[in-house]
Amino acid sequence: MEAQHASRLRLHDLQLAQANRTVLEHVDGRFRDGAVTALVGANGAGKSTLIQGIMGMLRPVRGRVECAVPRERRAWLPQQLALDLTFPMSVEELVMTGSWPSHGALTGYCARHYRRGREVMARLGISHLAHRPLGELSGGQRQRALIGRTLMQEAELLLLDEPFANVDVETVDVLMTVLRDMTANGATIIVVLHDMEQLSRLADEVVVLSGGHAEWTSVESIARGQAAMAGTARLSLGIPGVRAC
Amino acid sequence: MFDALLWWFTAPLEYAFMRRALVACLALSFTAPVLGVLLTLRGMSLMGEALSHAILPGVAVAFMLAGFSLPAMMLGGVTAGLVTVAVAGGVTQFSGLKEDAAMTSLFLIAMAGGVLIVTLSGNALDLGHVLFGTILGVDNATLLLVALASSLILAGLAVAFRALVVEALDPLFLTLQGRHAGWTHALFMTLVVLSLVVGFQTLGTLMAAGLMLLPAAAARYWSQRLEGMLAIAIGLSLAASVTGLLVSYHAELPTGPSIVLLAGLGYGVSTVAGPCRGLWARYRGPRRESLPQ
Repeated sequence: MEAQHASRLRLHDLQLAQANRTVLEHVDGRFRDGAVTALVGANGAGKSTLIQGIMGMLRPVRGRVECAVPRERRAWLPQQLALDLTFPMSVEELVMTGSWPSHGALTGYCARHYRRGREVMARLGISHLAHRPLGELSGGQRQRALIGRTLMQEAELLLLDEPFANVDVETVDVLMTVLRDMTANGATIIVVLHDMEQLSRLADEVVVLSGGHAEWTSVESIARGQAAMAGTARLSLGIPGVRAC
Repeated sequence: MFDALLWWFTAPLEYAFMRRALVACLALSFTAPVLGVLLTLRGMSLMGEALSHAILPGVAVAFMLAGFSLPAMMLGGVTAGLVTVAVAGGVTQFSGLKEDAAMTSLFLIAMAGGVLIVTLSGNALDLGHVLFGTILGVDNATLLLVALASSLILAGLAVAFRALVVEALDPLFLTLQGRHAGWTHALFMTLVVLSLVVGFQTLGTLMAAGLMLLPAAAARYWSQRLEGMLAIAIGLSLAASVTGLLVSYHAELPTGPSIVLLAGLGYGVSTVAGPCRGLWARYRGPRRESLPQ
């Protein structure tokens, strides 16, 4: 069934290791274009490792990652704590940095970029925060700004690590809509999720990581598994119950 | 009263060596704090401070070969600084450990080696000059080099400023873009080394990072905007270096420590009185603002 879909990101017998310890091996598969693929698995199952491997930050021990998306159209949002919250930058400035791939880092922005930046912020409902420093934003507002940067970048491959953690319900809705729009335009999105409800709302496909292997499956079968088996089964898949937001 | 003040400011400038020292201070004040702000934003202040010691062996070797020639020592300093940055970067990449340990180890070795070389080939006075600076000994050739290095730094900053800022906020974003990340970091470290070598003339290798880091650290207490921080850091640096120079002339104090102490005073005042996160601002409690819409 997967073969019918176009796919610009494929993994071929991939083996990834952290500090000489193999985390994942024999990972074969493809991520559908224009779809959201959820990565699930218990802590330590290799979700972050796989993302690092896909993004080329971790050299494979064996196998390879085949990615037809140009570098400047790839975006990765790690968990949000990685950013320095006291950094003197406004929301608009952060969003605008996403326009580099199209016009380079060295030249200034022109009116067209600013117009697009305003459109992006309006779409995410953060226009009124344009000039606010990053440090004064709530978790949800910051996450919207970061997604704004990837929109500005016209990202075609987007990897998100728990994008909805510490984010308010309204932001979750806005971000899901934006992500769905991106996939409608052909973007490939991979997202680490723990929340079953969010997963069934957003994902088209699921990759389950456990025991050092990756298994491609459908959202329905995950949902069925959840319904059929109670708590212990959830743990084995590494999908705890609905998390408090 | 006014005349006395005017005399205090202008009398020292009748001497050519004081004028040259002033120009060197101005060149340093317009460049070093900008790099300092970027360093503090990256959480690399200590790295900048340590790197300032790493130029010592180069300075020492130049001293051994060419005697007390400031241009030769500057060149030696730049070489040693760049080699240290490259080696530390290489060791970090090779071992996968954090950069700070590699840097610190190299700096300690560099510092010890440099002091040994200077003492073996000179005397205690030379060592004092190298460690604490010889701003009053700046000649025209050295001044030209200082101006050249500062212009290079300004040009480099002008070209790559946005990339440098984004690398400071989110190195990952730049790395993923692939094309600029390595070069941006290398350019930044090169500019820092250049600036430290300019600073070494004024403040000596021990305090070369003084005008780079103290005004930058102080500026964070005054502004939440990058432009504001840069303006304040440069202003503070100008004030500290010019006043320090004049105070050292009138009170017959060593120049480098006077300048650094004045910048330190600025930092101290900022931590207390600065409107952004300063002690006083915190004591008064949170600002009462209207809630966002």
